Amino acid sequence: MATVHEKLITAVAGAAAEGPRNKVTIVGVGQVGMACAVSILLRELADEMALVDVMEDKLKGEMMDLLHGSLFLKTPKIVADKDYAVTANSRIVVVTAGVRQQEGESRLNLVQRNVNIFKHIIPQIVKYSPNCILIVVSNPVDILTYVTWKLSGLPKHRVIGSGCNLDSARFRYLMAEKLGIHASSFQGWILGEHGDSSVPVWSGANVAVVNLQKLNPDIGTDKDQENWKDTHKMVVDSAYEVIRLKGYTNWAIGLSVADLTESLVKNLSRIHPVSTMVKFKVSPSLSVGLQGMYGINDEVYLSLPCILNNTGVNSVVNMTLTDEEVAKLKKSAETLWGIQKDLKDL
Amino acid sequence: VQELADELALVDVIEDKLKGEMMDLQHGGLFLRTPKIVADKDYSVTANSKVVVVTAGARQQEGESRLNLVQRNVNIFKFIIPNIVKYSPNCIILVVSNPVDILTYVAWKLSGFPRHRVIGSGCNLDSARFRYLMGERLNLHPSSCHGWVIGEHGDSSVPVWSGINVAGVSLQKLNPDMGTDQDSENWKDVHKQVVESAYEVIKLKGYTSWAIGMSVTDLVETLLKNLRKVHPVSTMVKVTLLFSPPQGMHGIHDEVFLSVPCVLGNTGLSDIVKMSLKKEEEDQLRKSADTLWGVQKELKL
Repeated sequence: MATVHEKLITAVAGAAAEGPRNKVTIVGVGQVGMACAVSILLRELADEMALVDVMEDKLKGEMMDLLHGSLFLKTPKIVADKDYAVTANSRIVVVTAGVRQQEGESRLNLVQRNVNIFKHIIPQIVKYSPNCILIVVSNPVDILTYVTWKLSGLPKHRVIGSGCNLDSARFRYLMAEKLGIHASSFQGWILGEHGDSSVPVWSGANVAVVNLQKLNPDIGTDKDQENWKDTHKMVVDSAYEVIRLKGYTNWAIGLSVADLTESLVKNLSRIHPVSTMVKFKVSPSLSVGLQGMYGINDEVYLSLPCILNNTGVNSVVNMTLTDEEVAKLKKSAETLWGIQKDLKDL
Repeated sequence: VQELADELALVDVIEDKLKGEMMDLQHGGLFLRTPKIVADKDYSVTANSKVVVVTAGARQQEGESRLNLVQRNVNIFKFIIPNIVKYSPNCIILVVSNPVDILTYVAWKLSGFPRHRVIGSGCNLDSARFRYLMGERLNLHPSSCHGWVIGEHGDSSVPVWSGINVAGVSLQKLNPDMGTDQDSENWKDVHKQVVESAYEVIKLKGYTSWAIGMSVTDLVETLLKNLRKVHPVSTMVKVTLLFSPPQGMHGIHDEVFLSVPCVLGNTGLSDIVKMSLKKEEEDQLRKSADTLWGVQKELKL
């Protein structure tokens, strides 16, 4: 006897549906991973989403909770499994997995523990999605983006660290609050290492192309009576503060990852401060051999203004920095390389 | 992310958590179109809200009776609701806390609001889950699967099998056994899964959040944009008419809140769609109403 389905619907296209064109995978379904997932779903960026984690119950529960919202979404297929086969043919893979710093633990030890986790994760991702673009979110993000790049064997333009995209967003929000405008009307960049030693580019801060440093040459220095430097300090402290208050941060980072995903998936060629490899090969017609940006010659990942489109990091904007700002970048690079060179088994 | 509000206020009693959540959202300000996000345990921060979503309340402890849970939540609502009303006397209250039908009744009583401005999220989510599962069976997007789950939100919700359709084609006409135990395709199981799905997700991840959040956003959108869409939400089903004896909708006589299809807009709930239900479906609704009234009449408000 014919089923309701058969009686109701007559098939026209005999062939099976094509595979996904904008599949996004989220590795790690903790608070950050799920915030990324929901932001991407609500922004309608993916035609398929895959979730991966080692905790099977939690993973299944999160997938079901999202599926129950299907009526309100435009992403028709949401899958989850601890087996990476479920991630096959992803365009973008967001990595949020990893361990957190234990009390009294050295950064090097934390990184080494995460290296061991990434050694399992990254090859699996690449096996099933050899053409994907990887966005690394796990901290310390600059080092782990380097680790991911090494373990994946992918070209560097396809391995991106979420880096200072969020720091810059926080900076723009805080500066805009002081000026009584929307964050998107304040232009400002934070580059370099994501974390305590990030570099606010005061020379570029502007509203409607009115340069703030021209209005106040002391901006960002200790001499500044208006103490604008404090805004950058607030950016650095903000993650710690939110963690202290609610235990973790997730909404802002989730939205920031969706923002990056949008540029990549929609081929927008927008500029974002994300973590990319600072040392690169210059075209032979211009120069000889390898030349680091800003004179940095170690293979480190730092946030720079990158043009993102569907190839990944298509190009990098050569921002003019003051000598002081370049010196800070170099210092970050040294710190990062100091840790990277001691990592085992890459 | 759905860009519905020009200002968002958060209230809770746990101050650190509240502040942390507010800051985390504010830090995403660049990516949002809601320029003002505020939070405080003091309700003055909620002044002039158009819509107030109530998710606060205690969860059922193991072995706790529903009545006891409700009484505990009544005490919490006794503090919350008057504060909301004080600062936003013209708002629409959307109750999500469970058991939602009873708590919507409680919120209505405590607020003194007209009934069109106190709505329970009710079966909006149950219907969404039903349509998702229906879509899976038929390989269609849920928005093309039409099905309504009404009545009490929870174990005794009522799937209106006679109305289930795709492109206007009644599925029950194709399969007259649909929804019964004789049905070889066991469509009844779809409703069973809807009822159990919350428990299953809770068992797996500890709570449900995403689907209910999206379903509330769906309702808020209709309210704020004055869309006049029809949603299955919890509203009062006793209607005092001009003739006596007063006749409730579907022959229900007590002041209970149950989900029925309601037209929502910027005044709140403006109309109710009168579904023609089969006798069994009406009986089930009446049974829900009796259960709910049994709990409600013991409450100390």
